[in-house]
Amino acid sequence: MENTRGNFSRRDWLTLSSLAAGALTARRAQADVVPPPISPVSVAKVVSYDTDLVPQFELMFDQIGGIGNQVRGKTVAMKVNLSGASGSGRHVGLSAGQTSWVHPNIVGALTATFAKLGAKRIRILESTFRKRYGTPLEDTLLNDGWDVKAIKSAAPMVEFEDTNGPGLGREKYSLLKVKSRPYVFDAFCFNHSYEDCDFFVSVAKMKNHEELGITLSMKNLFGITPELLYGLRPKPDGAIVSSVGNFSPWTRERVFHYGQVQPPEGVPQEIDQTSSRYEGWRMPRLLTDLCGARPIDLAVLDGIEAIIGGEGTGMPGTKHGKPGILVVGRNCVSTDAVGMATMGYNPRAGRHEAPFRLYKNPKDHPAEQLIPLGEYHQFADNTVMMGEAAGLGSADLTKIDLRGTPIKDVMWDYEAHWKGQSPV
Amino acid sequence: MPNRYRMALTFRIPVVWLIGLTSLAGATTDPALWVPARWDGGPLEVARRGKIDARFRDTINHWYEPSTLQLLDSTPINCILVTLGTGASAETEVAQRRQLKDYVPAAKKRGIAVLGVVYPGSGVASVIEAAKELQLEGLVLDGEFAPDFAANLARQFAGIVIPIEQDAASARSSAAPLIAMQGVRPNARDLADMGIRAGASAEPWIDSNIWLVRSLRYGNTRRPVWISQEPNPVSEGDYIRCVGDVAVAGGRWIVSLDDELRVNLLKKDADALGTWRRIAGSLKFGEDHADWRQYTPFGNLGIVIDQTADFDEYLNLAARRQVPYRLIRREELNAGSLASFRAVMAFAAPKDGERKILQNFASNGGVVIAGPSWGNAPKDDGYAEIPTGKGRIVVYKDEPPDAEAAAKDLQDLLEPQLIGLSAFNVPSAITYVSTEGGSVLIQVLNYAGRPAERITLRFNGVFKRARFYTPENAPQDLVTSEAQNGRTEILIPKLAAWGAVLLEQGN
Repeated sequence: MENTRGNFSRRDWLTLSSLAAGALTARRAQADVVPPPISPVSVAKVVSYDTDLVPQFELMFDQIGGIGNQVRGKTVAMKVNLSGASGSGRHVGLSAGQTSWVHPNIVGALTATFAKLGAKRIRILESTFRKRYGTPLEDTLLNDGWDVKAIKSAAPMVEFEDTNGPGLGREKYSLLKVKSRPYVFDAFCFNHSYEDCDFFVSVAKMKNHEELGITLSMKNLFGITPELLYGLRPKPDGAIVSSVGNFSPWTRERVFHYGQVQPPEGVPQEIDQTSSRYEGWRMPRLLTDLCGARPIDLAVLDGIEAIIGGEGTGMPGTKHGKPGILVVGRNCVSTDAVGMATMGYNPRAGRHEAPFRLYKNPKDHPAEQLIPLGEYHQFADNTVMMGEAAGLGSADLTKIDLRGTPIKDVMWDYEAHWKGQSPV
Repeated sequence: MPNRYRMALTFRIPVVWLIGLTSLAGATTDPALWVPARWDGGPLEVARRGKIDARFRDTINHWYEPSTLQLLDSTPINCILVTLGTGASAETEVAQRRQLKDYVPAAKKRGIAVLGVVYPGSGVASVIEAAKELQLEGLVLDGEFAPDFAANLARQFAGIVIPIEQDAASARSSAAPLIAMQGVRPNARDLADMGIRAGASAEPWIDSNIWLVRSLRYGNTRRPVWISQEPNPVSEGDYIRCVGDVAVAGGRWIVSLDDELRVNLLKKDADALGTWRRIAGSLKFGEDHADWRQYTPFGNLGIVIDQTADFDEYLNLAARRQVPYRLIRREELNAGSLASFRAVMAFAAPKDGERKILQNFASNGGVVIAGPSWGNAPKDDGYAEIPTGKGRIVVYKDEPPDAEAAAKDLQDLLEPQLIGLSAFNVPSAITYVSTEGGSVLIQVLNYAGRPAERITLRFNGVFKRARFYTPENAPQDLVTSEAQNGRTEILIPKLAAWGAVLLEQGN
């Protein structure tokens, strides 16, 4: 811890001291606090999506101790990371799977692997963008050229569900309480599929994020919040939401990112409505809450190809890269910590360090979401450290049992590539 | 360009065009059949360009040597545009004419029509003198000229005078039998590269001429449309795109080669000749399917246009959102003209009679998309939907409604079956649908530099056969499958640049 502490600024230290009080107290006292869970994380160098990914996943699942017992005869739900979820956002000439979405070959191979392990049913889930006419999730996937029929035939029972609402033919959402230490919300309403599953997989793209620094398996869970429930609140007079959300009432940002409005009546409200409204403070905590409400049984990070410098192709300066990295783990905090390390980041970085020291364009964000009072720059807190402090898992590389390829052999420095400081 | 000038052209050009047809000897006589190429060169061209790379100077200066005509053999190009007037010194003009004196007849002997390109700075008298001396079939005006320049030329010259128009609305109102229009270089770019911050679902920005050609050939007018734009620098794919981007909606690109290619063509460089063959192949593909130009544009959505407002961006962006539409002249807006539509976008402030027509259209089940002048515009949201009889009226908040938002909203406001076509995985492509009898032709142009893969198309109706045409390969049958709501689905596995799917109902 001393080494890690050496990288923190005083403010980071104070911030995390208060947030991770339990963990730090435990460090001092070496007694009465249960340490965050630790489980193995597997890392692999995979240079192309054309690789036969089924044996690759079988190997990695073996390396993390096997998941056969957890999926055999069960319903497996995969929340796939489809940022923007219209299927049309991408760099010219590249598929979304090569940049901001998880690649269809990853999803297809996971489906086939779960089927080989005896899964009874596999559900592929994501909340898509504004689908007035009830466009099925399969059509959204066609928008990126996915071979939906092939994925459907990869297992005996494959279902696709758009989780923007309660579920087809259902009137009520599933209420899930946060089982870890809650920060912002202590419960959420979700589509039924997040409750009606035995084994929940977060399949995330390994990429940066404009407002949060990184997108990994924990961040991927933002997409499980149904927009039809949380995104249809009236916009406060004069409120600026964002460049893309400003003209649309369909946005969850007002509830979650900025806390401008509370969720609808009958839906769990914020624990403390006087807490900070700064998204860099709120979102890492909210993501931790989401992971506490819908625990991740398996985290898969797709970094074979990815967008660098932001979560979507619309962010200026973003690039396409080929990191060639695949990371798999049972614990989302540990998996994301390892993922960060393979991206060249310190998993225990504070808000003053990359990738959490940010630049959000003032034109595209409300003024109060830029530099908070008492700070000198924009920031986001470290989501994996929030997760660790909440007791979800360990973000300490010295404790995580690393399997497969050593981090140093796969590391691909996102920051350097983004800034053009790394050889192409 | 002042309207007065355009009106003059409107009445004059048909007359001079007919006269021009009779003066041809050996060359293709019907401008509707002309496949044009810029063939600029000679000392005038060198002088016009000013600073010019030494590598290109010699090639351009000697472009009118007879050997360059051989390049046109085995290509559909049958009309070349030579440099004629630039306002350079009399000495240079004489030198230019000396080169063209032998070249023009040699071209005509090969059945090639020759038009002279005139640039600003040229004098009417010297242009007329040169055109007559060289017995050119016509003159093409490229640039901004004095208001009476074209009219003066047309009065004194028997051939066709073709101004390259800069303004689409004026060109649409022109009665000229052949419209030449300045276009854009077709390509796709990332918004981020343009310094624009957008959301995670931001699509690439596409510069396209498809909407422009479509708008110049609407109604029953099937007149030839030429689009002028010079791609430089270019790749082979850019050239194929240039051809397809104009041909898809029935026009022709005025072929324009970059200097590097021209130099290498004269050197008989194998790569350059290969590129040239493939450009010719894509031109041939367009001409082999000339009947497609006569197909009727498809669209259940009508967009009302008039001369008093700029609707170009709506036409451009609706096409980019893969929403097929047809145009309705405002003066032709009536119950009869709306009968074949299911939705209509009419953003201009409605007159009383128009309001009644549109109101009735909505009452009978149609969707009317209007600007705030309709009334009951929302204060906060981008638009409000007002149920009206069996249909609805959508009223936008802003005046004028933002074109990007309005185009994007179409996919939300109109159900897929109303739109007719659903195209998947086409962020860097544009589709264009036309019909003939019971057949439906869906053309797709890929603006990205890499091939597009796994494009899925769905169209209203049951079709048993889908044949896929591209410039580079023999036609192939695609598998059709029945989709929900009586629609047909097909998959295009790979598209290099330009492809067309012909859906037919028979086996």
